[in-house]
Amino acid sequence: MKELKILLILIVLVLIGYWGIEPYAHSVMHGEVKQPDHTYKDVPKNIPTTGDPVKGKELFTTNCASCHGLKNDGVNPGMDIQTSITSFKVVPPDLSNIGAILDEHFLAYFIKNPQDATKNPKFAMPPMAQLSDEDIGHVVAYLKSVTKKDLTGKEITVEACGRCHSIKYQKVLSDTPKEPLKEYLGKVPPDLSVIGKAKNVEYLETFINNPQNTLPGTSMPRLGLTKESTEKVVTYLDQIADPHRDQRNTLGIWVIGYLLFMAGITFAWKKKIWKNIH
Amino acid sequence: MKFMDWLDERLAVRQLVKVMLTEYYVPKNINFLWSFGVLIMLVMAILFVSGIFLLMYYKPDANLAFDSVNKTIMMDVEYGWLFRHTHAVGASIMFLVLFIHMARGIYYGSYKAPREIVWITGYILFILMSATAFTGYLLPWGQMSYWAAQTITTLFEKIPFIGPDLVIWIRGNYIVEDATLTRFFALHVMLLPLLLAIFTAIHLYAVRIVGSNNEDGGELTKEDKKKGKGISFWPVFMAKEFFVMSVFLVFFFYLVFYQYKFAMDQINFIPADYLQTPHHIYPEWYFLAFYEVLRGFFFSQNLGLIAFLFSMFIVAFLPWLDTSPIKSGKHRPLYRIMFWIFVADFLFLTILGKLPATGLYAWLGFVGSIVFFIFFLALPIISRIEKKRLAGGM
Repeated sequence: MKELKILLILIVLVLIGYWGIEPYAHSVMHGEVKQPDHTYKDVPKNIPTTGDPVKGKELFTTNCASCHGLKNDGVNPGMDIQTSITSFKVVPPDLSNIGAILDEHFLAYFIKNPQDATKNPKFAMPPMAQLSDEDIGHVVAYLKSVTKKDLTGKEITVEACGRCHSIKYQKVLSDTPKEPLKEYLGKVPPDLSVIGKAKNVEYLETFINNPQNTLPGTSMPRLGLTKESTEKVVTYLDQIADPHRDQRNTLGIWVIGYLLFMAGITFAWKKKIWKNIH
Repeated sequence: MKFMDWLDERLAVRQLVKVMLTEYYVPKNINFLWSFGVLIMLVMAILFVSGIFLLMYYKPDANLAFDSVNKTIMMDVEYGWLFRHTHAVGASIMFLVLFIHMARGIYYGSYKAPREIVWITGYILFILMSATAFTGYLLPWGQMSYWAAQTITTLFEKIPFIGPDLVIWIRGNYIVEDATLTRFFALHVMLLPLLLAIFTAIHLYAVRIVGSNNEDGGELTKEDKKKGKGISFWPVFMAKEFFVMSVFLVFFFYLVFYQYKFAMDQINFIPADYLQTPHHIYPEWYFLAFYEVLRGFFFSQNLGLIAFLFSMFIVAFLPWLDTSPIKSGKHRPLYRIMFWIFVADFLFLTILGKLPATGLYAWLGFVGSIVFFIFFLALPIISRIEKKRLAGGM
């Protein structure tokens, strides 16, 4: 009984300490993570997101294709990588699947005013003032019509994040080399290989949804990912950061089971040896 | 048995086994807190083995260290993650069992005559273990590794005259960088483990000479041992130890597999960057109490540093601060009160140590630091009261 009382005191002290240095300290240091807003409340919804894909393609070819490619539809960018780096310090992304990755209202508003949509005044793409709202509707309709269905987490991550972020443990290098990125963003954006270990899933979702909410002043733009794409990206980042999770969970059961068995045996042995000791 | 005879003639193994195990007697009136010495040995063994496996793949180079840990060991090597988890959790749990082992020694007066050498060597082991943990924490070369090392080495700057030069000498550069990593690596895998092994041997040797303390603080005489008042170390004492170890390992491996995050800070999964200071810098949990004493004197850095050094070293002088003839806290009501205040304060400081030192927290840290020292300052007074009471009572 006395032994159990001592054990109980130890357990209580350890639990108080654990509560203090883990959950409590983290709640004080980081505060509560805000909920992501996947409807993009502040983005005006009056720009049409539907229209004629054929007209959209025409508009795309004349207005967008000088910088952006669209491999799904055989469109090559009018500019090679070196030229785009010299002009923008960042490589303009291929837009093959952008219609599936981004929220449609966000995408429409982004074409109209990239700086405000991304919350990044230095965002490289200029506003497409020459396009009417109706035109934008055609372009968005076109982008949605060519996109691949059921993109994987990796595909979305590479397309949405890959022009600035590398994932070197997955052998993914950023489209833009480090030096121009440093000029464009002020620093080289972090590698995403183990970001899933450095940040919680909830934090990543909120951060991707609106970087300024969690890290005011960051040069990372808001990208307008849909809820589904955000979740796929975060799940992917979490997975690649911890590839042995299943192995760990299974092995853990075996090891602990074995040790419990050992505890039984050693307890029996102790009983036997101590039988005659008072 | 022929081989044993042959060996006995040359190494006197039978005598050795008797002295060390079968005829080494441990008092009967001890509880499972006396198991923590053995648990420390167990964790030490776990750290040695897991450390050797990590050593096979780890690269002590500022450009390679982070990837060798987070890619090679954690992803590519078969069960590499297991060794890293075990090593990280082992380091953390080492301090948990150390603190309990030390607190048991303090509560039951195990530092008192004739066990001063046991206490001093134990204290040296604690300091060596702290140095091992501190140097080891730099090796993954993450943000927290880097900035903890940067912050703690900066403390030496305050030392009069030689401070600034000393800091550069320790780091091998003006800031923590490659040279620092390589030398911390050398200390962590070679010099410190060697010293730990040596002092563990002296510690255990000293215990074999003076014997274990017990709940009541009385000593076993030779007659007591013959009359069966003690139990033999082997097999009786160890029979219980194996059970305690098994239960401990269940807890330990539960942490390794399912609850390891407390031992591997999230921020440390971001590579070290000397241009970007993290928002919050804090040491691992086992240094938080001492760190809080350092920060507790928030109005004067110098005072804080002195208090910090004092808080780490004063523990060594317990045998001379507490001169009461009564050994065990079980029979010392005043001492017991102070002991529990001290334990509560240590826990309080540990929790505060991770919180931002601003506003109320800063003042609480100051109060906590003062209370920390009150325990040690009260010991001579308690000793005097108890001596008077004993003299009066007789």
